[in-house]
Amino acid sequence: MSFVVKKGFDDMLKIENLHASVAGKEILKGINLTIGAGEVHAIMGPNGSGKSTLSNVIAGRDGYEVTAGSVTYHGKDLLAMKPEERAWEGVFLAFQYPVEIPGVNNTYMLKAGVNAKRKHQGEQELDAMEFMQLIRKKAKLVELDQSFLSRGVNEGFSGGEKKRNEIFQMAVLEPSLALLDETDSGLDIDALRVVAQGVNALRNAERSIVMVTHYQRLLDYIEPDFVHVLADGKILKSGDKNLALELEERGYDWVKDEAAIAASDQGQAA
Amino acid sequence: MSGLTLDRTALPGGTGVQALRQQAVDIFSRTGLPGRRDEDWKYTDISRITATLGETWWQPAPTETAEPEISDIEGLDAYRIVFVRGAFQLEASNLPDSIQLKPLSALLAEDVDATSHGLLKLDESAPLFNGFLAANSALASDGLCACIGENTKLDKPLYVLHIGNSTAHLLNGIMLGQGAEATLIEHFVGGDGSAAGLSNIATYIRLQDHASLSHYRLQMESAKQFHIGRVDVQQARNSRYTLHAVELGGSLSRADIVVKLAEAGASCELNGLFVAAGRQHIDHHTRIDHAAPHCSSREQYRTVLDGRAHGVFNGKIVVAEGAVKTDSAQSNGNLLLSKQAEIDTKPELEIYNDDVKCAHGVTVGQLDETQLFYLKSRGLSETEARQLLTFAFADEILVAMGHNAIRRFIEKAAFAKLPNMADLDGLLG
Ligand SMILES: Nc1ncnc2c1ncn2[C@@H]1O[C@H](COP(=O)(O)OP(=O)(O)OP(=O)(O)O)[C@@H](O)[C@H]1O
Ligand SMILES: [Mg+2]
Repeated sequence: MSFVVKKGFDDMLKIENLHASVAGKEILKGINLTIGAGEVHAIMGPNGSGKSTLSNVIAGRDGYEVTAGSVTYHGKDLLAMKPEERAWEGVFLAFQYPVEIPGVNNTYMLKAGVNAKRKHQGEQELDAMEFMQLIRKKAKLVELDQSFLSRGVNEGFSGGEKKRNEIFQMAVLEPSLALLDETDSGLDIDALRVVAQGVNALRNAERSIVMVTHYQRLLDYIEPDFVHVLADGKILKSGDKNLALELEERGYDWVKDEAAIAASDQGQAA
Repeated sequence: MSGLTLDRTALPGGTGVQALRQQAVDIFSRTGLPGRRDEDWKYTDISRITATLGETWWQPAPTETAEPEISDIEGLDAYRIVFVRGAFQLEASNLPDSIQLKPLSALLAEDVDATSHGLLKLDESAPLFNGFLAANSALASDGLCACIGENTKLDKPLYVLHIGNSTAHLLNGIMLGQGAEATLIEHFVGGDGSAAGLSNIATYIRLQDHASLSHYRLQMESAKQFHIGRVDVQQARNSRYTLHAVELGGSLSRADIVVKLAEAGASCELNGLFVAAGRQHIDHHTRIDHAAPHCSSREQYRTVLDGRAHGVFNGKIVVAEGAVKTDSAQSNGNLLLSKQAEIDTKPELEIYNDDVKCAHGVTVGQLDETQLFYLKSRGLSETEARQLLTFAFADEILVAMGHNAIRRFIEKAAFAKLPNMADLDGLLG
């Protein structure tokens, strides 16, 4: 028997009224966002509006205090999980600023990650041979030179190489929820195309993708189902891919103005 | 404090040797043991030694009865020279015949004019000279004396294994003739660890023109043992010296590493790694003298301290007036895995001319939270992530070990010490 999951049918991630602070300062001020299985969402918004904060809170980074709200992932309380558990459950974050870890081998890290996840899911761990086959295939997918596999994690990688390495890791870890935080920034035109191809190749009915970006350019390659504007810790507007085109043309101010008017209307109505 | 007394019947050597021993006793009676008032011993309180071993801390006293089991380092093909509780063991050794090699006990007993070897002769003006060194000359009972002749390239490392706890004063002399090449591994292992003693070890190394020595010094004494070491190196023209100093064992361990780049073109590299936990105290004082032009020195030390361990690193580099075109770099990184661990580190540069390149840097820190999160976000557990980052921190020193069998051995031994660090499969290589 086969069961086809319809796009948007199954709620993979449900964020409700999420408030989060860093160092006592409130950054997320009531985020509501629902992401269905197989959907691609783009989050755009001004610098400092909280896009990375949202990604980090979902991935489980320390230092963020969630003061209100909830995040439900596949029906489970995501915020109660340790970061590594979230990874085992299929959450992946491609960092805006990938970290260099000299001395920790890229391949070793991935092997440990893949096998920890397989173990968690009750699957047999991959042996060295199987794993090498897997990463060779995935390296090809994102056109990552084999020499990067044996280097320290992001050690001495150029900005663009780091981003490509993030997508490579995503391809290897096969997440069900991928958060790509400005993966397109710093990529040259060819690299952008390759990375986008890599992402598109991973698109399927069970995998959801959230892309944080400043540029419409990326969305030409990876067509989003939804586009959201995050400003000052809130999602002010959501729409389809045309919203991104409009933002490209008009900037963010009109969205903020609209939101302010709506808020004051609401205030008056109350 | 009571002075040293010599039991002449128990110590090898004829009248010439005994006279040198007496000179050392006289020096000791003037200097005594170093105390905290001495700048170079400010952070290392040796009263821990005298309090445990008593007034006659210096007296050789076999403390364990169990015969230690002699085991090799896996995969190491070497000439083996074994000392059990400070005494040379011919049976257990496998000596090369291509070089001149003798235990000090035999050399002194032969009653050749030991002064010609200069082995027991002390130079009080030497850097970091102290009472332990005087005691070493006065009481040296054994050690390794090796002369590697001109242009001899020793086919296998000399592996000097010191095993079993006791109080022992050992003196080694290693000479490399012009163009000679060798690898020396000094390995200090405890016995069953039931008793405490003092290993007081001095190793004198002399390198002639173009000679090259790779020196591994692996301190892995058992938990209660005290270890005082000195490595004294003098280098002639274009000679090369590389030290890999690893400190894992013992209760208190102090080593003074003194290298003199005496002639043009000489170069040295000092790599140090401490991995300490519990209440271990480990102290290295290094001193590199750039006494001639066109010499280079590279020094990198990494310390990994857990529990209430205390590390001390002092790296002094002195560049003499005439030592133009000196090229020197020093780095010291310290990783504190617990809040109670402590490091005192101090680079000291004394430069007496302008035509030099000297770089140095010190870092003290904990594991990087961003890196930890990155690894965890890829599915590594907290423990695995910590293990990997700790390992990566020490990696630079481990990678510098050209000898793979030793490197693997040290990797395992070092990380087996730290909690949850046992499983390293896949990290190696
Ligand atoms: N550790 C911190 N301490 C203090 N403020 C912080 C900290 N981390 C983030 N912030 C602040 O939180 C706000 C949101 O930052 P965030 O990185 O989420 O923005 P962003 O939307 O991703 O911006 P960009 O588009 O520039 O990447 C910023 O004002 C930032 O300075
Ligand atoms: Mg950001």
